[in-house]
Amino acid sequence: MDSAVVVRQPPERGYWNPVTETMPREELRGLQWHKLRTSLAHARRGSPFWRARIPDGIASLDDYIARMPILTREEIVSAEATNPPYGDFPSCDPRLAIRHHQTSGTSGRPPVRTFDTARDWAWAADMWCTGLYGMGVRPYDRAAVAFGYGLFIGFWGLHYALEKIGVATIPTGSFDSEGRVRLLLEQGITVLACTPTYALRLALTARQMGIDLARESEVRIVVCSGEPRPEATKQAIADAFGAFVGDSAGMTEAATIFMFECIEEPGGCHIIESDFIEEVLDPDTLRPVPYGETGVRVMTSLGREGIQAFRYWTNDLVVKRPWSECECGRTWDWYEGGIRGRQDDMRKVRGVFFIPVMVEDVVRAFPEVDEFQSSLRTIEELDTLVVRIEPRPDVPSEQYGELAERVGDQIKRQISLTPIVEVATPGGLPRFEMKARRFQDERSRPATHA
Amino acid sequence: MSEAGPRLTPDEEQRLLRCYADLKQLAVHCQVPSVRAAARAALAQVHAALNGQGLAYELYSADWPEEDKL
Repeated sequence: MDSAVVVRQPPERGYWNPVTETMPREELRGLQWHKLRTSLAHARRGSPFWRARIPDGIASLDDYIARMPILTREEIVSAEATNPPYGDFPSCDPRLAIRHHQTSGTSGRPPVRTFDTARDWAWAADMWCTGLYGMGVRPYDRAAVAFGYGLFIGFWGLHYALEKIGVATIPTGSFDSEGRVRLLLEQGITVLACTPTYALRLALTARQMGIDLARESEVRIVVCSGEPRPEATKQAIADAFGAFVGDSAGMTEAATIFMFECIEEPGGCHIIESDFIEEVLDPDTLRPVPYGETGVRVMTSLGREGIQAFRYWTNDLVVKRPWSECECGRTWDWYEGGIRGRQDDMRKVRGVFFIPVMVEDVVRAFPEVDEFQSSLRTIEELDTLVVRIEPRPDVPSEQYGELAERVGDQIKRQISLTPIVEVATPGGLPRFEMKARRFQDERSRPATHA
Repeated sequence: MSEAGPRLTPDEEQRLLRCYADLKQLAVHCQVPSVRAAARAALAQVHAALNGQGLAYELYSADWPEEDKL
């Protein structure tokens, strides 16, 4: 293998839609209101579900936020169950669909099913274009999409967006990790799209193959989506690939992404506010929280004509920051740290608020650790955080104790919980390709949720 | 502060809007399946472009002829 260092083109600043990305805030609110009014009228006309739900005479954005009921996942599932697959939820005839997607349902819950018309799908891809272009993806790039291409919407929209931008796009659905590493090198791939977990998995596989991706690949941008991605994980991916790592997040209920990280890296992701109204609410009072405080995302999508979402309670924990704090020029607010976790994952442990992703933020800062898992257990009647770390194969076993101690100390410093840190043998912990499941609540009594 | 990026000229804006109107006609009324399908696919893309420029926002497919839904 040629080990010459590859010179990469750094991502450059640019806007996919300069007008709406840099629009003064007052005009942006005017645009949102225009779209919202049109969307509400469409929903009332086409959807029995929405007709029964939308209050009469909504007169402004503020009025909408004050009077429109919040929508939950359970209500969507229930509405779809009236006459599967979509029930009385859609706002236009499902026979106009060109695509169908649904959530995985792996947790035993019924899936949320959605469809897209040609119009909706073009919009969904355009939202991805907004994010990808903002991350610096350009027509001359060559992209590999490490994704299973199934019912789950995942990176489908990204694939179409890459094609639309003009990027040579390689779907690697059937490849194993070694095959993907070889493809990165053989095809001169410059953009990789996958979950953060899988990016680290590819980096590990490459290392096991004796390949240093940071030196030998041409990857200059890693597009991450599908999971919360703490700062330490971003840095680990950036180091492994020698590339810019752009975070993004979407959801099946939106058909696409609603936020992305620009190349200025303000420490989070811009909300695509031309097409989404995003509120951040206190989960207890349901009142808006100010900039800088943690709350739950409530999403209104202004993009779709088939499956519409007004004030959807996402359970995502976020911290909103004002647009002016980022130097990229967009007038769109942003979420500091992207998605911080899930409200239903939030627990109170010995008086401390705990979200599983906090452990990842600590552990990923240790390059000696390849993989980890965490759990909450009842030990001698006390809620206890147990973290299992798997050291890299080149870490001598006599250093395991000292490594576990350092990891434990750092968790105590950052999370304010004293963990038990166990060490697994190299290769002993499971690996994940899409949404990683690294946390278990094994406490013997019902969990105390926040 | 926000920065200016490239903007459509008035002539480009008019062409884009005209293109959208023409495609919409073909998407609804053209009887040649291949042309109608192409118009609908193109219409969706042009609508996305207009939406991105803040020039048009329509939820239009529900208005298409009933025979398309059979």
